[in-house]
Amino acid sequence: MKKENRTFGKVLMALVIVFFYLPIIYMVVFSFNSGKSLTSFTGFSLRWYKHMMESHTMMESLSTTFSIALIATAVSTLAGTISAIGLSKSKKIIQNLMEQVNNLPMMNPEIVTAIGFMLLFITFRVEKGYVTMLLAHIAFCIPYVMLSVMPKIRSLDPNLADAAMDLGATPWQALTKVIVPQIMPGIVSGALIAFTMSVDDFIISYFVTGGGVKNLSITVYTMSKRVNPSINAISTLVVVIITMVLLLINLAPVVMAKREKKAEISRKKQIVPIAAAAAAVVAIVLVMQFRKENSVLPYAGQTLYVYNWGEYTGENILREFEEKTGAKVVMENFDSNEQMYIKVANGESYDILVPSDYMIQRLIQEGYLQKLDHSKLDCMDKLCEDVVGLPYDPKNEYSIPYFWGTVGIVYDKTKVDPEDLEREGFDIFRDQKYKGQIYLYDSERDSFMMALKTLGYSMNTEDEEQLQEAYEWLVDCVQTMDPEIVTDEIIDNMAQGRKALGLIYSGDATYVMSENENMGYYLPESGTNLWSDAMVIPANAKNPDLAHEFINFASDYEGAYDNSSFVGYTSSNQEVMDTLSGEGGEYEGIDAYVPRSGNPNDEVFEYNDNTRKLIANLWSKVKIAASNAG
Amino acid sequence: MKRFSQLAVPYIAWAVMMLILPMALIAIYSVTEQGNSIISFTFTLEHYAKFFTDPDFLVVLWRSLLIALKTTVICLLLGYPIAYFISRSSEKMQNLLVLVITIPMWINMLVRTYAWIGLLSEGGLIQRLLSLVGLGKGELLYTEGAVLLGMVYNFLPFMVLQINTSLCKMDHSLLEASSDLGANLRQTFWKVTFPLSLPGVINGITLVFLPAVSSFFIPKLLGGGQYFLIGNLIENQFITVGEWNFGSAISMIMAVIMMLLMMAVRQVEIRNNGGKEE
Repeated sequence: MKKENRTFGKVLMALVIVFFYLPIIYMVVFSFNSGKSLTSFTGFSLRWYKHMMESHTMMESLSTTFSIALIATAVSTLAGTISAIGLSKSKKIIQNLMEQVNNLPMMNPEIVTAIGFMLLFITFRVEKGYVTMLLAHIAFCIPYVMLSVMPKIRSLDPNLADAAMDLGATPWQALTKVIVPQIMPGIVSGALIAFTMSVDDFIISYFVTGGGVKNLSITVYTMSKRVNPSINAISTLVVVIITMVLLLINLAPVVMAKREKKAEISRKKQIVPIAAAAAAVVAIVLVMQFRKENSVLPYAGQTLYVYNWGEYTGENILREFEEKTGAKVVMENFDSNEQMYIKVANGESYDILVPSDYMIQRLIQEGYLQKLDHSKLDCMDKLCEDVVGLPYDPKNEYSIPYFWGTVGIVYDKTKVDPEDLEREGFDIFRDQKYKGQIYLYDSERDSFMMALKTLGYSMNTEDEEQLQEAYEWLVDCVQTMDPEIVTDEIIDNMAQGRKALGLIYSGDATYVMSENENMGYYLPESGTNLWSDAMVIPANAKNPDLAHEFINFASDYEGAYDNSSFVGYTSSNQEVMDTLSGEGGEYEGIDAYVPRSGNPNDEVFEYNDNTRKLIANLWSKVKIAASNAG
Repeated sequence: MKRFSQLAVPYIAWAVMMLILPMALIAIYSVTEQGNSIISFTFTLEHYAKFFTDPDFLVVLWRSLLIALKTTVICLLLGYPIAYFISRSSEKMQNLLVLVITIPMWINMLVRTYAWIGLLSEGGLIQRLLSLVGLGKGELLYTEGAVLLGMVYNFLPFMVLQINTSLCKMDHSLLEASSDLGANLRQTFWKVTFPLSLPGVINGITLVFLPAVSSFFIPKLLGGGQYFLIGNLIENQFITVGEWNFGSAISMIMAVIMMLLMMAVRQVEIRNNGGKEE
């Protein structure tokens, strides 16, 4: 044969290797960055590793990922192998049928499989959490194991087992001594595929989990909105673990093959992955043990499930609460009230929720909340008067305020003319001068608030024509202004001055302004949403006593101070608010921190089921319009 | 011997419960009125009508298919030469290169996609490199290009490995026969090698196209919140809008489209085998 020209191949191969490994190396390098930036390396430090070690969520997601992967691999390998053997002896028609059935999770888009599992668990009222995630993983892993084992079984002599039994072996012996050793390579590669699939999975886990159980993928997905280099740290850890396991699996047989007789190899080969798996289990158990607390405290051994907004709790409050009570806090985060509502309405159980005003009204109306036991609460007299007794819960029978504020415009003083803001208010989001320079917020309520206020209507309007007008205003905005529709991403991006303008919550604006002095906060005269988020206890809470304890803790000076100073939102605790905004306080001179009062156009959201549906549908169409325009 | 067939019974029960029933539930939800419980449902086709009568939804579907197609073509154009290169290397080199391609697949997809955010963001490495070559300061992150890049990055290994497997299985004496009979390299490739590697190509296409159409975290992480593909539309219906019946209908539509496409692709393979299925 003629010699081929391999230079092109070599260059391409090299480029692709760079392409595959560049992001991984970049991630590893930046996990050691001393600064917070993901783009400029300012010096070597281990602070993000420390941060990672201290983060419950991260360490637990790591152990969840690997424990689920190991159990799912073990179970699916065993079940898959046995079933494949059984199936190979079944009637042809059953074999073909089962092959089609096994193709379902492999040939369906993953999101469809995921939704199928979710509907299954919800229909049969199985509480979503670790067990459902595990069941789903086993279910999608078995077909891959069978796919890998089946060809090996088919290539066996069908009389092999009979021969063994003729020679006096029991069926069990025929199976374990004759068939299994023959198909071992298929079993091992099936197990490896199952393990990979399980570790890698995001979509299915995301839809079937609950109760704050997260694997690594879910954690990265929910944390990715803010700049958080500890994601790089945990990723690096995963890279190291996986590389070690892979090297072990790939190199160990080679090394042994050199040492031992050939006949021994196949047996040794089985031992290596099993040993690797066992080592991983031990490591995980150690990590979990590491977190055990002592048991003399009042709530030792109990768990508090909190469902709160992302980036809405202080740095230390959860840990301090755990130290004080001995209980464990599991926190899950949501992006929107609507997302939270769906989970609660589908029966998922939490002890504390932190919804907004109108959503609290809805939850009360629909009977999802329980009345607070005020004899257990000592926080009422510490609260700021402006957030007590609001229309959604006039006597605070159900809710204790957490944070409050306004919705306004964050703007870069070096890029935006203040006169434009004064003249146009929210209409500045349709000013062609700022095309490509704006962030919108992915909140249906507040986007419609902005449009309705600009058009001079009430944000609580029930008039469908006014809502239609607001919808057209928004569509015009997304089609002509090339905006980015974000949630928490706005915080770090505006702090770095990436765009000129954005619709923002006052608390996020406070954080942005404290990070970047060029940033300002503007509230249009046409009015805005005076919102408050409050802690409530769902009717199906498992630990209401501990929940009351938490409400006290979070409303008390220290807890409230930690929350407010860390995330920038206005505290409902009067003393904390005064300290932070007063002389020498962290947010002195930042007008976004103290909510506006006295503008007659400002309103509080009220709940109405008809407008909710309309707004939800219209908003998803606005987003589709934005996407299709881009 | 037959008694072994009983070993399959538990799995058949499990598969009915965990694989068939979920699909049946999606189908039921998709033709049920919103808010009905599963026991007392009212039949309706309004969710399908809603999807097919609204041009906005159809555009989303079209864009999702298009970007998946682009991803698949790029993966094929990059993946084939690489797989070919690997299959022509020495056996030791082959094992090493396959390992090199496999390792990234073991590292969590979300993690690998997240890594691109830093690389692509403003002032990041890629932009600095581009401006060194004088390619300006265009935005990279939160564009369609970024989504495409993320998809190729995540799915290229599937293509390479599939094609490589079928190239390695090939009988090398066929190539010698071809050149002995006077074919030049190009003829040998197009008349012998490529047709024989077609099963791998088709598997590769399936493994790339399928996840690319339905992916929703790659568009969300690299395309930004305003970048909507069909996967995002489904996620949105289930996670924030709460219209599960409509979401189920979109899922069914997607599943059927994918099934038809896969069947069409398989037809190519069957025809290639002279009408015989393997």
